[in-house]
Amino acid sequence: MIALVRFKLAAYARSHRLLQPAIGLFVMMVIFYSSTVPPGKELASYADSAGLLIVVFAWAARGLLDTEPPAQRLVSATSAGGSRREVGAGLLAALAVNLGLAAVAVTLPLLQGFAAAPSAGDLARGAGLHLLGLSAGTALGALTSRPILPSPAASMLALFGGYLALLLVSLTPAGGFTVPVMPWMRAANAGTLDGILLPITAATLFWSAAGAAVYVRLRRTRP
Amino acid sequence: MQLSGVSFRYSRRGPWVLRNVDLDLHAGSVVEVTGRNGAGKSTLLRLLAGIVRPSRGSVAGRPPVVGYAPEVFPVDQPFTVAAYLAHMARARRVSPAAGTALAERLGAARLLGLPLGDLSKGSAQKVGLIQALLAPPGLLILDEPFAGLDEQTRAELPEIIEEVASGGGAVVVSDHQNQLRGFPGARRWLVADAAVAALDGERPPRAGAEAGRAAYPVIGRNGDRAPKPDAEDDGERERHAVIEVIVDADEADEVEQKLRADGYLTRRTA
Repeated sequence: MIALVRFKLAAYARSHRLLQPAIGLFVMMVIFYSSTVPPGKELASYADSAGLLIVVFAWAARGLLDTEPPAQRLVSATSAGGSRREVGAGLLAALAVNLGLAAVAVTLPLLQGFAAAPSAGDLARGAGLHLLGLSAGTALGALTSRPILPSPAASMLALFGGYLALLLVSLTPAGGFTVPVMPWMRAANAGTLDGILLPITAATLFWSAAGAAVYVRLRRTRP
Repeated sequence: MQLSGVSFRYSRRGPWVLRNVDLDLHAGSVVEVTGRNGAGKSTLLRLLAGIVRPSRGSVAGRPPVVGYAPEVFPVDQPFTVAAYLAHMARARRVSPAAGTALAERLGAARLLGLPLGDLSKGSAQKVGLIQALLAPPGLLILDEPFAGLDEQTRAELPEIIEEVASGGGAVVVSDHQNQLRGFPGARRWLVADAAVAALDGERPPRAGAEAGRAAYPVIGRNGDRAPKPDAEDDGERERHAVIEVIVDADEADEVEQKLRADGYLTRRTA
């Protein structure tokens, strides 16, 4: 399966599809850090970055999963010894790409953007929030990939619409039924993130896993 | 390998592509799958290969190494032939040298340095064939392998099939053009009416009841309807139409073969 992950990553890198989310990431970085973040506000800044980059993570995951032509997915499935492994390799490769993007998002403000270096604890919290963001983004990207939504227009609409809906619903009292993006941004701004860290982590991982499970289930008849 | 009561549809409310299919596939056997376009041949091959799972029923005893060559090899990939085959070899945990050796055998060594996107249809089919053979397959599945192949590979393919079969591998070939008709010992499965019928006397157990009349199958049914008991067939037969096709005497055999491969009933008049 690892060989298949490498194959998918190689195809993705050579297809230049990485450029789109990479440009999205850098535009967001420029917007976030065009004015220096004052000391003590690093975690709030990380929380915003992790929440807003979900759409970039989703875009990258969708792009990676759409790189292989449909017939190649069939070949890859038989090469790897079953379609489950092909589906698993796709998700792992998407996670790997998003880990790279998240690493850039966490590291860049340390070099240019933060007035002072954040504490080790805030750095860890910030990195953790980006992990939550990339897991939600990867699931959203997988659910809008070509085997699930063959029409590019419907797929883009579902990706951006799904992300906006996720943000809006997380603002309402029904926010418990989605990835709690707005609650983590607000809590980080108010300095109360630690109090809700456990429930938001559990909720985000639950919804990401649920999204990935739906994707895996749908792929059984959508090779 | 055994398919028991296998039914498949692509979505919960979609039509059944295959329904209640029982098949046995023995090691070393060669099977030619025929049927009209859209009858479900490719779906049957994907079920056999383990690419899709049955909606109902089960597939048991699939060999661990499956080689699959798709009907149209996907050239839209950013690799050279050599790099692509090396990736596929690693996915199969075999030496990348396996691809080079097969390429030489099929006269495709000169293709190795070319980008996949520059390949002609026949060359692309060769690459598809090579990747399917990288590890000696216990089950080799070829979807319309003869389309676009050059004469050399067209002649070589039955030899390769024979080698895989004599090595204990099962080979299933969907073959719209009926190119394997002269292949010694090859069985034929006809896919029609969401069912699969063996045409050579080696009938699949449960489908056997239908197989007796399957040599001249009822045509024109919707794919979403299950094979019905004989009682309904009279009604279906009334909907048949007779088309007279006039061909040169030299071509008569070939045309008749093609029509029969597509599952039509033919009658010859002088």
